[in-house]
Amino acid sequence: MNGELQPATEAIRRRQFIKAAAMAAASSVVGGSDYTLPVLADESSQGVQWAKAPCRFCGTGCHVQVGVQGGKVVAVAGDRNAEVNKGLLCVKGYHVGSALYGKDRLTRPLLRDGDRYREISWEEAIRTIADRIEVAPERFAFYGSGQWTIPEGYAAQKFMKGGLSNNHIDPNARLCMASAVTGFLATYGVDEPAGCYDDLDECDVLIMWGNNPAEMHPVLFSRVVDRRSRGEKVTLIDIGTRRTRTTEACQHYLEMKGHGDLAIANGIAHLLIKNGTYDRRFVESFCNFKASDDENPNLHGKPISFDDYRKFLEPYTPEHVEELSGVPAEQIRMLGDLFGNPDLKITSLWCMGMNQHTRGTAVNALVHGIHLLSGHFGTPGNAPTSLTGQPSACGTVREVGTLAHALPGGRVVANEDHRKQSEEFWNIPAGRINATPGYHTVKMWESFCTPTDQGGDIGTIWVQVTNPGQTLPNLNKLFNPKGDNKAGLEDKFLIVSDVYPTATTRLADLILPSAMWVEKNGVFGNSERRTQQWFKMVDPPGDARDDCWQTIAVAHELFSRGMAGMKDRDDRFLFEIKDKNDMPVPVWEWERYYDVNVDEYLFEEYRQFTRLKHKDLAPYSEYVNARGLRWPVVETDGHWRETHLRFSEHFDPYVEAGREVQFYHSSTQDDRAQIWFHPWIAPAEVPDDDYPFMLCTGRVLEHWHSGSMTRRIPELNRAMPGGYLEIHAKDAAALDIRNGDQVEVESRRGSLVVPVWIDGRGQPPRGTVFIPFFDETLLVNDLTLDALDPFSKQPDYKKSAVRIRKV
Amino acid sequence: MNREKNTKQTTLFAFVVLSIAIAGYFTGLQAPMVASTTSRSSPVEHLKTESSSRLEVGVIPATPYADIAEATTKHRHHTRLASLKSEFDPFEEIRIAPGEKSAALDQRSRNRAFNGSPPTIPHPIEQRSDKSCVACHSQGVRTESLRIPRMSHQFLANCTQCHIESNPRHMVAVEFRENGFAGLAAPTGGPRAFEGAPPQIPHTTWMRVDCLSCHGDGGQRGIRTTHPWRMNCQQCHTPSALFDQTLLAVEPQFLPGPQIKQ
Repeated sequence: MNGELQPATEAIRRRQFIKAAAMAAASSVVGGSDYTLPVLADESSQGVQWAKAPCRFCGTGCHVQVGVQGGKVVAVAGDRNAEVNKGLLCVKGYHVGSALYGKDRLTRPLLRDGDRYREISWEEAIRTIADRIEVAPERFAFYGSGQWTIPEGYAAQKFMKGGLSNNHIDPNARLCMASAVTGFLATYGVDEPAGCYDDLDECDVLIMWGNNPAEMHPVLFSRVVDRRSRGEKVTLIDIGTRRTRTTEACQHYLEMKGHGDLAIANGIAHLLIKNGTYDRRFVESFCNFKASDDENPNLHGKPISFDDYRKFLEPYTPEHVEELSGVPAEQIRMLGDLFGNPDLKITSLWCMGMNQHTRGTAVNALVHGIHLLSGHFGTPGNAPTSLTGQPSACGTVREVGTLAHALPGGRVVANEDHRKQSEEFWNIPAGRINATPGYHTVKMWESFCTPTDQGGDIGTIWVQVTNPGQTLPNLNKLFNPKGDNKAGLEDKFLIVSDVYPTATTRLADLILPSAMWVEKNGVFGNSERRTQQWFKMVDPPGDARDDCWQTIAVAHELFSRGMAGMKDRDDRFLFEIKDKNDMPVPVWEWERYYDVNVDEYLFEEYRQFTRLKHKDLAPYSEYVNARGLRWPVVETDGHWRETHLRFSEHFDPYVEAGREVQFYHSSTQDDRAQIWFHPWIAPAEVPDDDYPFMLCTGRVLEHWHSGSMTRRIPELNRAMPGGYLEIHAKDAAALDIRNGDQVEVESRRGSLVVPVWIDGRGQPPRGTVFIPFFDETLLVNDLTLDALDPFSKQPDYKKSAVRIRKV
Repeated sequence: MNREKNTKQTTLFAFVVLSIAIAGYFTGLQAPMVASTTSRSSPVEHLKTESSSRLEVGVIPATPYADIAEATTKHRHHTRLASLKSEFDPFEEIRIAPGEKSAALDQRSRNRAFNGSPPTIPHPIEQRSDKSCVACHSQGVRTESLRIPRMSHQFLANCTQCHIESNPRHMVAVEFRENGFAGLAAPTGGPRAFEGAPPQIPHTTWMRVDCLSCHGDGGQRGIRTTHPWRMNCQQCHTPSALFDQTLLAVEPQFLPGPQIKQ
């Protein structure tokens, strides 16, 4: 480390000269001193320019201060002015700058040529993509990401749905938070949490449902546990399937079996009603009751009465819940008592545990339900809040709507009014937007891996900012066939824009080098509705270019070939971007791309969409000065004010005076939220004699998602070099397995040889094993199941039956 | 006589052999039938401290309690009780030798990605709990063989959020891909208005509020203060506004000077 000092910029040289002059002047005043203390050389650190950016990694949305010297990122500090992290970061955040400088960055477009690749020009790359799309636009699919910036996702969205009349655009976030979305929609009629991170400072009880924030959202976790250091009392409850670092900080650990959360939530509701401790006034004023309609399964379900609801819950006694979940009845009663106490402020957090779940929509709705039923909602510290794993899963996926069924601003393609509004904003001919939802992630990849003559009607997929070759479930079905030279897949074409070679680029036909993070302008939206902006600070390496530019360049190539979809009603290019003098800028030429702030232009266009669902965004310039703002951001008295708590009077400007709590997007149009009943249902796959262990997958502190960035950061890679299997010591003993032994883990879908780490980072109970998914050479998704939640189409990565054999 | 002596010796020998066998048998019974899961004979190799990696050079590893019995001679001197006595000498005169300073800064850089990044942990840690961190690092100490810096910041409850192991014990660390990140170098000294003036603090003071963590008695030679008896550091050494993240929306204004007619 301590690389050579970069040459000082002109400004610094000038500053150094002034300082030297001042020092000379000062010395002349003192005069004749014979001090011999060494005066060391002037400091290099003063040549560092600092600027703000949100962290590149998880959905917490910490702001970092990025130190740039000589055109390179050299340091990172927590941003003290950021409300989210208040100057603190986690170890990934401190080292995020190194993520740019892996020596194997992709720097040239690469086209497959047999088993090898050859470097091609960007012009050829853009032409190649345009050729693929032009011959069959309906067979093209865009696979995006919750790491897309908002303008990137918006451009892709407009290109696909507004340009190609093609709805086959879906993001990796489908695998990550789709069930959280359907949970919010089913309950409140509109997506995203009502609460925010401020609740973590206020709550008396924090319940983590299948969540390990000590490793996955460390900044939020320490925000809570640091309250104890200040003498505050906060009760932490971990409802989980294995012991983790989070467990160690919790007063209560409720160890459950997979899908036990469904039973536990029902058990709490059962006790609230049986003990009469539910909040009668809140429920009667603000809630309806719903149950799923098995004949017509959708997010509206069927209305039920309170008595029906009570009857449905009757079987969920603490003892029965213990049978279903494995959590002792005593602990269920404890939860019932906590929720039944109106004086306590209770916040629930969850992330993948409840979302990667074949009953994900159900369990999300149930947890919202117990908060509503007990009245632990709508005041600071009382909130059911889902977390996201990606920096802009909320901003780019949920708000911009880069999902197969969605349009920007909470609209859906199936709704005629929504299509008309979008066509109006985009100034495209009426009827351009296709009313049929496209393929969701699993279906998209299944179709891609199916020969065309057998109905595999996706021929080309363009992947941006994600790594499906590692993160899709059941890879042997959904991704690997592409590489096995399986007969009938020769005509399939995979385009991957990325910054490093990955498990996905391995099978790509065309690889495009992308710019990342502070190599480009960007806007992210974090888990608490906070929209965050940053500016480009350094140049990308080689020929790497912005993903947003790549999309616009392809669109323009098609436009110049005369494709009608790339024109608006006035025959202008779909992405006509104008400078301050209202003159169009040819941003599809890379040299001209930064002549104008494309991000600002696209953001302002997108902003029009955000009013319908009251997710109002402020003008771009407001975000430049802020450390993010939580929507709805509403202008009052000339100031743009953010919203801490939605649906709650005194906080949310859209709640009418005197209403206290108003669910103004209620799916029943009566300003009420829906409390759902969903029964406990067993996981899609449970251990049996052949496959006796339940396999759970997940992340670790040091690595973010597929590790393509963090494994290239020496400090992080050294601390956590590779994948491993966690198993209970007694299970290991029974199988004669010792620490470090290699074992073969086999599911019905694939197998994997992996070293064992007993009593390591996590400690699963007997019968459960855990493998993290960051290691690209130990692909745990060769084993996972591709069973989906029926509503959200999100797969379950947490419950696959496996058997283990020492090798 | 001889024969009798021989018999005695044989009996004694047999007795000794038998005793050892019996003792051994019962000792064996007490040992677990299944090898301990934390057994050192595990095929998981632990990183060698003499590795040439840039992260370990110059870092003194503490031997975990579990390993003391088996520590090599090379490591044992770190754990000898005698060497655990404090090395603090209140009357020591401290002089700054530029060579020592650069050595100290060099050593600091070994477990930091850049100046200001949280240092990585040069010794094994307990994986799921960080409660033991504060036992040593709340006060800090310097012994003949070990330097335990005290926290430079206020107590924060989730230590492993920012500090991770530089030598994992569960797996051999190999560089996955080379990385060209060149971190911000540590400053070699603060600017002074004139020779003999107290230098300004050349680094941020955010997360480094306890100056004595690095510059106090427990600090490395070369960056220790020459005047440890003065307790109010910022009385003379001011933090630089260049490192202050507190944003001023407007530039500070000053009253204009008197207008003098020409």
